[in-house]
Amino acid sequence: MPSTRQPQLCLILMFLALIGSVPLLQAALELAAGARPQALEVFRQKPTAPNLRRYEHDLTEASRVAGWLRPWAQYVLFAGLGDGGGKTLVGRAGWLFYKPGVQGLTDRPAHGSHTVEEAAAAIVDFRDQLQARGLRLLIVPAPNKESIYPEYVTRRAAGLGAVPGAGTRALLQQLAAAGVEVADLFALFAAGKTNATAPLYLAQDSHWSPAGVELAAQLVARRITGRGWLQTGTTAYLCRPAPIERVGDLLDMLQLPRTLTRETVPCRQVVRADDGAPYRDEPGAEVLVLGDSFLRIYATDEPGAAGFSAHLARELKQPVLSLINDGGGATLVRQELCRRPQLLAGKKVVIWEFVERDLRLATEGWPRVSLPPPAHP
Amino acid sequence: MVFTTHIFLFYFLPLFLLVYFSLPARWRNLWITLASYVFYGWWEPWFVTLMLFTTLLDFIWGRVITRTGATPGQRRAAVAACVVTNLGLLGFFKYYMFAATTLNQLLAAVGVGTFHIWQVVLPIGISFYTFHSLTYILDLYRGHATPARSFTDFSAFVALFPDLVAGPIIRYKTLAAQLAARETTVARFASGVSIFVLGFAKKILLANPAGDVADAVFGAEGPLVLEAWVGVLAYAFQIYFDFCGYSDMAVGLGRMLGFEFLKNFDAPYRAESITELWRRWHISLSTVLRDYLYLPLGGNRLGPVRTYGNLLVVMLLGGLWHGAKWNFLAWGAYHGLWLAVERWRGKQSLCPALPRPARIGLTFVLVLFSWVLFRAENLTAAAHYFGALLGLTTPGAAAPLLAASLYTPHHLLVLAVCAWLVFQPVQAHDWVQQPLTWNRVAALAPLFLAALAAMFAQSFNPFLYFQF
Repeated sequence: MPSTRQPQLCLILMFLALIGSVPLLQAALELAAGARPQALEVFRQKPTAPNLRRYEHDLTEASRVAGWLRPWAQYVLFAGLGDGGGKTLVGRAGWLFYKPGVQGLTDRPAHGSHTVEEAAAAIVDFRDQLQARGLRLLIVPAPNKESIYPEYVTRRAAGLGAVPGAGTRALLQQLAAAGVEVADLFALFAAGKTNATAPLYLAQDSHWSPAGVELAAQLVARRITGRGWLQTGTTAYLCRPAPIERVGDLLDMLQLPRTLTRETVPCRQVVRADDGAPYRDEPGAEVLVLGDSFLRIYATDEPGAAGFSAHLARELKQPVLSLINDGGGATLVRQELCRRPQLLAGKKVVIWEFVERDLRLATEGWPRVSLPPPAHP
Repeated sequence: MVFTTHIFLFYFLPLFLLVYFSLPARWRNLWITLASYVFYGWWEPWFVTLMLFTTLLDFIWGRVITRTGATPGQRRAAVAACVVTNLGLLGFFKYYMFAATTLNQLLAAVGVGTFHIWQVVLPIGISFYTFHSLTYILDLYRGHATPARSFTDFSAFVALFPDLVAGPIIRYKTLAAQLAARETTVARFASGVSIFVLGFAKKILLANPAGDVADAVFGAEGPLVLEAWVGVLAYAFQIYFDFCGYSDMAVGLGRMLGFEFLKNFDAPYRAESITELWRRWHISLSTVLRDYLYLPLGGNRLGPVRTYGNLLVVMLLGGLWHGAKWNFLAWGAYHGLWLAVERWRGKQSLCPALPRPARIGLTFVLVLFSWVLFRAENLTAAAHYFGALLGLTTPGAAAPLLAASLYTPHHLLVLAVCAWLVFQPVQAHDWVQQPLTWNRVAALAPLFLAALAAMFAQSFNPFLYFQF
């Protein structure tokens, strides 16, 4: 029908232009940059399933058009429809949450999963290895933000209080049964969040706030000194305000085309009382702190000297030594310690922090890690 | 390769169309075959050799069956050999591990030693292309079709990439004439683009977000009653828009090449009974099961009891066709029983006295229950889910948190649009039959752009029916 021919042609041309222009534009940009068009890489490798998967993945990731459109699509979904994509969950009052962490609380354990048992076995084994060297171990599971503040995830969770995952509860029970010392931040934070003047977690970030850091450091210091593992030192530290503006990791994960808001974080930097120098780790310290990004935040990140280790040092009145592996609190940090056993020299106490969600999401799982035999003097 | 991926949309499809329309008509079937092998081999290149092997075998069996001078006995033997070969391969790849595991469990239960189970990789889409081939052989045997002109035609029919891995199941006799000669017109191509875009949008904009909701609930430890209902509702929408979206895209791609595939869905959730549902849902599978299983079993010609039995057997095998899981058998049995009950009541809805919307609603609820069997990880999980739907299970400690993943404005909007669309009398397939106006172009263009943009923001999400 003549009356429909023009719309038909228009639709066809538009469709073909859309699907045809993307590869042509991509090739033109690659050629202009002096590179070989990536699409041709398929002819330079054997057509095996892994090679084809990798080729397809690389081609998709390298797409300029996808790179331009993705942030805007994500922006519309987030700002317009409250959807944070695969990693971020949009909560209440501007709070964001790490979606896999929330799923870890709501999902049933995978069929045949033995993660809790494996984690408990790895921790007990690590404790025993340290004990054989005359060292004490204190476990510090950092609660997921959603475990402490479920009411900010959804209004329907307002009456829940704090909800550590079923796996976390089982792990704490198994560790208690095995006589492993654990600093229970769940109970502390659950009680502390009502008393604290500021939230214990950041709104746009999956990590604890400066208030949470200080509360955790106080508990850990009390536990170590209370058990008589360590005497309080003599180095006096002070705190000075060091507020920062920070883009939370959860907001960052959204990969939006522009940053919407920055969160003002009222950090308190730890400085030496004698010369006012910002806190620094000390290799010869008696305490070694192992952990993940919960140690890194405010320490190697801005403003520096305001993280967990700094505040722990202030409570203990002596410097500590930190070994941090971002995202690797469960296993990678232990493996790194194996490669650098000299860090244990002169230590009396090892504090091992890992985030609750690692019970399900730990990159390397929970294998036992054998420390090298101690070097005899 | 998956239709909703960067590589298919921006590399495979434009290159395929460019070469296809540059070739003279007599070379096009060969190009379809070669390109389809690339499309299929993208998952695992050795799958192509299996497909080529069965295609060659079926082509030869077809020649034997239709050979001049072949006796009825020879023809019967040839068709039996072909059915055994095809179903044997399908059975081995699809059901070996299930059968071996079950046997091992039985052996262990009676205290007998178990045996080693090989890890068998299921070639994607094998159920679909095996059925394509079988319909060819059976139609030849029955005299309902003529043998393929050439191996190229036959291999193009079996491998035809638009319907290769998730249907619709197309019979050779439907495409025979089109394989020999087909016309590509501007109107047909535009209609193909229209329905392709609608199918693409169904998958990306509706099925995938609905799937997020369904996955969250079905994976949860003891959801609350409301969330359990929302979860199964979301799954009902996901599986419909996912599968129907794929079928629409297949029909659209076929139309771009000049083929005409039959409609695979006809507003199934508007059905007033389970019997009617199966006239509207996955129509190509329903008709294949009817013509090649139900009727040969005697259909309704051997008395009521035998009819009920035949319905049950067909639905059990239909369930098993979806995969080697007890869930699918239970799902098939559930549908078979309802079909038998409705047949006993004279093919009527359960409550014919109710007004039509209520009959549709009642059927929809029955279908929702069946989706629990279909979606749950195993029968135990299905039982727990039924408990959650009825408020009989203890919710998980963190169950209220599930609300945050489900009731986002995005998900609520998607579920509302799904709910509105599934009950519309005019579906995508019918919509594109009407003349393409400027208004429709103005609707389709932004829809395609929005779906493309959303595709870039989504993680990889293959079609549900690929696993079958």
